[in-house]
Amino acid sequence: MSVHGREIVRALSPARILVVAPERWRAECELHAQEGWRFCGLFATSGAQQPRVSCVLARGGREHVLSTSVPTGILDTLVDLFEASAVDEREAHDVYGVRFHGHEPLRPLLEHPSDPAAWTVPVQGHDPYQVAVGPIHAGVIESGHFRFTVVGERILNLDLRLFYKHRGLQTAAEGRRLADGLAYAARACAACSVTNAVAYAQACESALALAPDRNLRRARTLLLELERLYNHLNDISAICAGVGFAPGSMAFAALKERAQRLNQRLTGHRFLFGAVAVASSELRIGHVDARAARHELRSIGDGTRSLWRELRFAASVQDRLGGVGCLTRDDALRLGVVGPSARASGIEKDTRSESPRLAYGEFAPVSVARASGDVAARFDVRGLELEQTLALLDDLLDGNLTTGAVKSLGGADCELGVSRVESPRGETLCAVQHHGGSVVRLHLRTGSYANWPAVACAARENLLPDFPLINKSFELCYACADR
Amino acid sequence: MFVLLKGLRHARREIALSVPAARGSLALRHVDAGSCNGCEHELAAAANPYYDLQRHGLNIVASPRHADVLLVTGPITTRMVQPLLIAYEAMPEPRLTAALGDCAVGCAALVGEQAQLAGPLERVLPVDLRIPGCPPNPEQIAAALLDLMREAKQRVRADRSRSWSPQPRHPAAKA
Repeated sequence: MSVHGREIVRALSPARILVVAPERWRAECELHAQEGWRFCGLFATSGAQQPRVSCVLARGGREHVLSTSVPTGILDTLVDLFEASAVDEREAHDVYGVRFHGHEPLRPLLEHPSDPAAWTVPVQGHDPYQVAVGPIHAGVIESGHFRFTVVGERILNLDLRLFYKHRGLQTAAEGRRLADGLAYAARACAACSVTNAVAYAQACESALALAPDRNLRRARTLLLELERLYNHLNDISAICAGVGFAPGSMAFAALKERAQRLNQRLTGHRFLFGAVAVASSELRIGHVDARAARHELRSIGDGTRSLWRELRFAASVQDRLGGVGCLTRDDALRLGVVGPSARASGIEKDTRSESPRLAYGEFAPVSVARASGDVAARFDVRGLELEQTLALLDDLLDGNLTTGAVKSLGGADCELGVSRVESPRGETLCAVQHHGGSVVRLHLRTGSYANWPAVACAARENLLPDFPLINKSFELCYACADR
Repeated sequence: MFVLLKGLRHARREIALSVPAARGSLALRHVDAGSCNGCEHELAAAANPYYDLQRHGLNIVASPRHADVLLVTGPITTRMVQPLLIAYEAMPEPRLTAALGDCAVGCAALVGEQAQLAGPLERVLPVDLRIPGCPPNPEQIAAALLDLMREAKQRVRADRSRSWSPQPRHPAAKA
């Protein structure tokens, strides 16, 4: 094997699983934190006799999974090491009954107690009052409950209550064959369906020591970028709607429609459903279709560019974006924010640049000139990423595409596989634990799941009527988080 | 602004909705009861310049109090049953309920006997219209709603002709 080949094998090697004793749990995590490992997710499993808790950490392109059993039902908390683990620990408590020593108060996440005091942050002072919104909203959007504590119009605090859409998809996937489990990850969310499906497929392949061939990598990258294209167009349309600028909103909605029609022509589905499979790809695009698709993408690109320029010079839009919903770089790092929202706050991280299982090559994340972390910066990031996506798509559609497959890496099977994939909203982590080819545990931690706490953080100190705009600048899925 | 409006005119010129128009209007209120967000995307897309549902009198309204039709998506999670029933109760009569998408209709492949689900919709509310599809595309949504509008109009006309028929209200008065 050549030196280059060996490097690829090393890059594709599965995550290292470190089994630690419960009393060493916190110390080991602390050690990783000091060595610069980043928190990617924490999940519990029911285990044979006692629950187990695993924590996924990443540095560069490598992943470590720290895993421990919880014989007493209580484990030391990680919230002070990684604040991003707060939501994960609440979920582990609500579903698997694991308690976390030092996580006080451990507020319910999946449970919905009727007393607001049980799940909201207490706020005291002169005349604060609460505004409750949802779960049903006025527009055509998903269900979730927001409780604002405000003085006048200023937001002092926002408490989120999600999981109204909890369908139990992760539990429903348990016991299915690995190939059948994919649908549960994919249908968790329509707008991130490809990302979730690719993350699941890669987690399975990593566990089974399989490597994708060139066609498979190309097909999946193409699908991921097609998904990003229609999502980013949709998000720009949503931001325009957030400031009441109907011409911009409708023009980008029309571009999104064109992108979705292209999806339909290439894969037979407007949301690319059913285009991803475990260990194979049935996606075929002939020379003629690829050329037509490239032509259409160039036309969409031209439209996007000229409309984007119009929006840049529409003063009534731009004046409403700057300084609204600021998320500082420190807050973004502290909360473990991912995706375009993190890049808008000056964190130049993109999982696409460390994805050896995909065909991104020498990918560099975008950097905005003014990473101010406000709505304007998140708006700019989307514009820059659209350029990147269109260039990638043009490259990927150069020539025909045939079916893809996997080859064995020659290693032994591993019972746990993890994978990270960049969705239009940020890094999505999928962990698949299997036994004899059946799913034992499926865990999906999507970009939306990671970023919801940042919405609450960015909303503070802003005006209540600006919240729809702030929310739309993140444009997170509820379905992705609730599963 | 000029370029934006020109672009919109261009998009409107190739409007592809092939369903026959109907006279009248329906006020729609959407409730997401656990969908994957696909039906929401397509319902919102029905308002984009390519479909423009409003020109057929199909308006999405902000409150169930203003609505004729409750459009429900998703497999009805247990946590959404109560809000859904409150929204239904808030609607003025006569009111109609539509199941939008395979999950709400009850034919979705993935929706099994999960403890977190109370659906499909017909287990929770009376269903007047079923719009299958995963998700149904904007044109299918428009076609189904326009059919419903025609049907509702016929029903109202039939009811009106019955109540206005020149029959004496009290048979005893004849004698």
